[in-house]
Amino acid sequence: MTPSKTAAPGRLLTQVAGERQTGALVVGGHPGGTVYVLEGRVIYAETPAAPGVGELLTSSGRLAARTWQNALDLGTSTARVGRLLVEQGHLTRGELELCVLGATYDAAYFVLSPAAAPVEFLGGATHWLGAVVHIDPSAVAREVRRRVRILDEIFPDPRVDTAAVSPATRAPRERVTLTAPQWELLVAADGQRTPADLAQLLGRAGFATIQELRRLAALGLIELPEVRGDAPEFVRLPRARGTAVDVRRPVSGVAAAAPVSGAASISGAAPVSGAASISAASVSGTAVASGAAPVSGAAPVSGAAPVSGAAPVSGAAASPALLSAASAASVSAATAASLSAASMSAATTSGTASVDGVPTVPVIGGNAVVGTLPPAPAEGADPARHTLADEGNANATVYRPPRLARRKPGAKLPKELAGEPPPVHQGTDEVLLKRIRTALRALR
Amino acid sequence: MPGVDHCLHEAMAIPGAVGASIVDYTTGFPVATTGAAPNSDHEAAAAGTADVVQAATSRSLFVSAIPHDLLEDLIITTAGGYHLLRIVQTDFDSRLVLYVWLDRVQGNLAMARRRMQTLAAELVAT
Repeated sequence: MTPSKTAAPGRLLTQVAGERQTGALVVGGHPGGTVYVLEGRVIYAETPAAPGVGELLTSSGRLAARTWQNALDLGTSTARVGRLLVEQGHLTRGELELCVLGATYDAAYFVLSPAAAPVEFLGGATHWLGAVVHIDPSAVAREVRRRVRILDEIFPDPRVDTAAVSPATRAPRERVTLTAPQWELLVAADGQRTPADLAQLLGRAGFATIQELRRLAALGLIELPEVRGDAPEFVRLPRARGTAVDVRRPVSGVAAAAPVSGAASISGAAPVSGAASISAASVSGTAVASGAAPVSGAAPVSGAAPVSGAAPVSGAAASPALLSAASAASVSAATAASLSAASMSAATTSGTASVDGVPTVPVIGGNAVVGTLPPAPAEGADPARHTLADEGNANATVYRPPRLARRKPGAKLPKELAGEPPPVHQGTDEVLLKRIRTALRALR
Repeated sequence: MPGVDHCLHEAMAIPGAVGASIVDYTTGFPVATTGAAPNSDHEAAAAGTADVVQAATSRSLFVSAIPHDLLEDLIITTAGGYHLLRIVQTDFDSRLVLYVWLDRVQGNLAMARRRMQTLAAELVAT
């Protein structure tokens, strides 16, 4: 699994197609999405900004929601949902192909149009719909470029594509002529819904929606989002005062700058707490079944494939599921570390050594430096206050507000800071012992 | 299998047909093509098709206020042939039109129009 890097998604697709690979091209950013490739040809694409095949068919009423759900339940594990629908007679082959073609080109626009975005290619991943259509990737890329030009010709401002849609309260002309889709959009726009929401709500293609919205903006019927320049931050950062002292987190010497990206945290967690990370990955409901049965073929790297291969093989919210699974897995990795400290520290890719047997909590910080934090900060001794100037060289370029130390409850303050000690409550121990005895008696 | 490929194959079987394609009329992209196209350019023909269909639908020309009085097809006659555009009616939002280019001499316009009607219907419903 190639590590996540920022690249032009179109170029990576061309490369994948040239090598006739099979897998999923996952693109991050907003809105991001995934393009599925089978032997160098595109079979499907999905993105949160556009409704997928399921949403298109169910929201238009062509398929009952139960029918669609049944097909998903039966076909997801073997990746034949499309074929099932046709075989059971719910859908004609022509309808399925046309729907998939439309949804694929639609989603491909959102996935491949950004000039640079974090992309990665997951080899071997397939989609639960199966291979209904095979599209030449160069045709897809050409079409995406053409669509970008179309939109720019209509109205060159790209903020219309992502900002919440609010209709203009006063029309700029005496008489306004709308097409039916434009009318639907204006009626459904309430100032909160984004173009992606409107597309899902109305069951229309994502690109068609933003095309109509740009036309409406060109007509002056939509209020444009206001431009906010680089406004100065008027937030006052907290200053360390009183019992809160600056603490310098010790960085273990062994752990060099280990790039801990979302994907790496999944691969770190997977071999250790398999159940925990898969259950963390099933943030979206439909991923549960797909997590159990890895549809992906060859597993390229040990441990990394089952979770990350299975995660895109989920419902329409694949990309946000992957990203939220990354954050959920990193959270569960942090909590699981305290439980399985030794194996965790052995399995993390950064290779942090446990400092004198104390269970280490790998700190996954935004600066790609994995440090270890002993569970209790240095008590008794006054941790040296340090100015921001001598932060670790990894932090040199970024302004980090001073960290606040946390004192263990009950620990004594350093003598220089504390006044007189708080009075000790005399009956504490007896009351506590009595309560413990009562509880034990109740248990018996 | 009555899929997209089959539909285009049948469209080419219409006597006099020179080329056929299925076009998305909001973007002007030919989703599937077969045969020849005017100026050997399927993409330009598709863009032109989309323009024509949008011009016809956007201002509700020729359709009355009777419900379901939707635009069904367009026929454009040039010296080089007949260009038939049949809008494919799907329940879900697909915005597709079936385009057939018919030779002026060998093509039978009425028969071709009826054949396209059945093809578009077969594509969508059994």
